[in-house]
Amino acid sequence: MFGLIGHSTSFEEARVKARSLGYGEFADGDLDMWCSAPPQLVERVQVTSRTGKVIEGAYIDSVFVPEMLRRFKTAKRKVLKAMELAQKSGIDITALGGFTSIIFEDMNLLREERVSAVELDWQRFTTGNTHTAWVICQQVETNAPRLGIDLARAKVAVVGASGDIGSAVCRWLQRRGVGELLLVARRPQPLIDLQESLGEGRILDLADALPEADVVVWVASLPQSLQIDTGSLRKPCLMIDGGYPKNLDSKAAAPGVHVLKGGIVEFWQDIGWQMMEVAEMAKPQRQMFACFAEAMLLDFEGIHTNFSWGRNNITLDAMDLIGAASLRHGFRSLELDPALAPSPSLAPA
Amino acid sequence: MATLTSTPEALEAGTPSGAELPDFSSETYKDAYSRINAIVIEGEQEAHDNYVAIGTLLPDQAEELAKLARMELKHMKGFTACANNLGVTADMPFAKEFFSPLHGNFQKALAEGKVTTCLLIQAILIEAFAISAYHIYIPVADPFARKITEGVVKDEYTHLNYGQEWLKANLDHVREELEQANRENLPLVRKMLEQVASDAAVLHMDQEDLMADFLSSYQEALMDIGFTGREIARMAAAALVG
Repeated sequence: MFGLIGHSTSFEEARVKARSLGYGEFADGDLDMWCSAPPQLVERVQVTSRTGKVIEGAYIDSVFVPEMLRRFKTAKRKVLKAMELAQKSGIDITALGGFTSIIFEDMNLLREERVSAVELDWQRFTTGNTHTAWVICQQVETNAPRLGIDLARAKVAVVGASGDIGSAVCRWLQRRGVGELLLVARRPQPLIDLQESLGEGRILDLADALPEADVVVWVASLPQSLQIDTGSLRKPCLMIDGGYPKNLDSKAAAPGVHVLKGGIVEFWQDIGWQMMEVAEMAKPQRQMFACFAEAMLLDFEGIHTNFSWGRNNITLDAMDLIGAASLRHGFRSLELDPALAPSPSLAPA
Repeated sequence: MATLTSTPEALEAGTPSGAELPDFSSETYKDAYSRINAIVIEGEQEAHDNYVAIGTLLPDQAEELAKLARMELKHMKGFTACANNLGVTADMPFAKEFFSPLHGNFQKALAEGKVTTCLLIQAILIEAFAISAYHIYIPVADPFARKITEGVVKDEYTHLNYGQEWLKANLDHVREELEQANRENLPLVRKMLEQVASDAAVLHMDQEDLMADFLSSYQEALMDIGFTGREIARMAAAALVG
């Protein structure tokens, strides 16, 4: 059985969802009430692979909302309690979605394996980052040529390059071969370490990297204050919005700048769940975060282990493995709308 | 609505370190401890009395219940030793007053022979609350109390389990009474918690943590008894809303 731990994108939206799911009392509660409320297993689903294999899964809402991010203890407890519920529900492999994995990593919750009476078994959880990184790389490889960008000569900026997903994307693109990797991140030292381990790549500030880049892969959360001077960007420019939350399209909208939601996959058939309705997916019955899909893939493949775990452990082999599974079981990476691409003749079948 | 995008920095900046221990020898600590400790002692005493009383309603279980009751007395002695260790005198009149609404509801149910209500109050609500409170307390307890409390928690799980099993086996007949008892008693637990929030804070126990942990344990117990997630959310809301 696979599990997904998710949350609403805002308190307002969470209340609406609570009402629609039959949790009227929660819908009426204030933020303090939500802070104390335990996680909820809100939905069970059955998913059929293109191969015919059928698995069962459950969606757990951590009853966390982003408004709680500044309440560190609350945020931490929400994540750990949701994981505890997943484990107690007998779920073999659970993906940490949205802020769940960000909180887990940034607050170093690995130290906290004991939640009340339950000792968390890390083997049962995955960040889903390997699949996310693989999907983002697919999105670069599939969509850049459609815009007439030749990756072998293109400059690809990775914003958040030293992070877990960012560093994996860099390694993948290095193996594939791109014109030049532009490495961008907030903290200098991890970037220098990454550059050393890659043996290539140029370290740049965001402001300097953007005007040079043919492709920009965003895998960092964007500062609210971020302004993108779209006039200075190359045209065409492919932007993969792989951060969380996904809010790049409002900042980088301009002719010739193509923003694609990164790390999103589409399943080969409708799943029949309610939960993705709220994740602002264009096709909520089929589309989902790649990290969630990783839990399904691991369950389809019978790999019940923490496939993606810790920071900067994602190998190319692991990406190849999860990528092959992704295709086999019927997932497809989200692509630019073919109607928007200037070279329709290049669109793959 | 949300200030979503400035958060990773905030997270990094605010990454908390391990729980900080309070100064066990300060007068402020001892003063707060005198009430919290008294509540615990009184709670264990009431638990003893309540299990013995439930035994009168369930004669075939009286022996098992007497065993649970004896454990509670042992806990009480342990917690009394904790107070002595810190040189604190437990404020028992405060604790008696603190428990009186719940005590009153239990006695009323007992007089009416309502075993379901009695079990909900003692074996589910009080036990779930105790387990959560002890869990929150353990990381910030003095070394002596820590050891004692760790031992107690293990026992309390078996008590919670006892109530769960009985209610589960009888859910079909007791559902309505259980919901009614929940409505009448869960808000009391919340009020009790609010009453001691400031004392608990002196002991470095956070009110929200206490409430959240309690609700998790309570939810889990109700789940085990056979309620659905939505039913439980509705029941738990009695503690959270209003």
